Amino acid sequence: MNELIATLKEEIIEVLNLEGMTPDGIDENAPLFNGGDPSAAGLGLDSIDALELIVLMERNYGIKLKNANEGKEIFKSIATMADYISKNRTK
Amino acid sequence: MAVYIQSAAQITIQSPLCDDWFTSPIRREGRYFRSVEPDFKAFIDPMASRRMGRLLKRAIASAMTALEGYEVPLDAIVTGTGLGCIETTEKFLNAMLRDGEQALPPSFFMQSTHNTIGSVIAQRLKCHGYNNTFTHRGTSFDCALQDVLVQFELGDISSALVCANDEMTEAYFQLFDQIGYWKREDVTEDMFRHPATTGSFAGEVSAAFLLGGEPTERTLCRLEGMELLYEPTDERFLRCVEELLRKAGIEKTEVDAVVCGYNADPSNDEVYARRMDLYFPQTTQIYYKHLFGEGFSASAMGYYVAATCLKRGEIPAHIRYREGKSIRPKHILVYNHFQNRDHSVALLSC
Repeated sequence: MNELIATLKEEIIEVLNLEGMTPDGIDENAPLFNGGDPSAAGLGLDSIDALELIVLMERNYGIKLKNANEGKEIFKSIATMADYISKNRTK
Repeated sequence: MAVYIQSAAQITIQSPLCDDWFTSPIRREGRYFRSVEPDFKAFIDPMASRRMGRLLKRAIASAMTALEGYEVPLDAIVTGTGLGCIETTEKFLNAMLRDGEQALPPSFFMQSTHNTIGSVIAQRLKCHGYNNTFTHRGTSFDCALQDVLVQFELGDISSALVCANDEMTEAYFQLFDQIGYWKREDVTEDMFRHPATTGSFAGEVSAAFLLGGEPTERTLCRLEGMELLYEPTDERFLRCVEELLRKAGIEKTEVDAVVCGYNADPSNDEVYARRMDLYFPQTTQIYYKHLFGEGFSASAMGYYVAATCLKRGEIPAHIRYREGKSIRPKHILVYNHFQNRDHSVALLSC
């Protein structure tokens, strides 16, 4: 799982173009989205980032999200994403 | 109604966001140059700009610089772009090919339209006014400018930002190369004086002009009027110029200089040379593409150069194509054409 988390961090940095960020600088348990509150902890991603993450999961891991409601739980943090991917990946 | 160019800013292959090109230009020898970019962090938060391609960053930086110090509400943003965000479009198309049209990246898709540029500038400046984009290859900016003048004339706006934005990707450079847009050899300034082989050299332009209805201390010049012409005969061209001058109340002999879009390609340059010889044989001619390169937004730099000369009251030697009377310029014509089909003529005064 740790290996997957490390890979996921690198992929997210690349896909979301998070300039200046390193995998070590990202807490895998921190929230990915902070609801538009810049003072809140986490990466502070937005809805377009969510779309990019959905595309990333489909392209890199063969996972197609069918139920939009699942997204809230899956994209809570990098750790929850990694957990979902490890259980559902097809590639 | 009088329209004034209040300020202008550029990001090109010259030093960005300044007028160093006027006193100490960067001399280029080659076929293809990308813009010299400023530090975008001064204009956009890195988190906000991470999804933007470089053209969008240039567009925002040049727009914000043109607006620096102006508190006026902006009524309109009009953009001219031949290719839009072509770099991002290429990334999107490449992703389509790579992934078999599955799982397409949304950011690239969103930025793959021409009017992304104008809308991103509007978002950044919180401008909810008139927003339009013109995509007409080499006359995109000229069309945008004419639209703004019409809006002023109708009384619908009293301020506007007119922008020109085009980038030249490696892939597009190669495509244009195949149809003879660029010279086969490195382009030197001497080739502009003595064009012998076809083609020019590629540059990139992001320029922004703030237009207003009232002059201020910082105003660069007055835009007396402009016309777009399709395949004009010599007579039609002359009538158009005379009409512009008549409306401005000046004689042909009062035109101090004509800015022409000489680009070192004989088929392009002979159009200017012939008409200048016919109608302005004694007038100073200014050229500018030897400094900024050729591209769909290049014509905007003709206006930029003319406005700067009027504001500074001089025409530096390195942009004089032909010497005429040497005086402080008050009236400058800007004449551009694209492939001898679409022509534009504008009169700027101070």
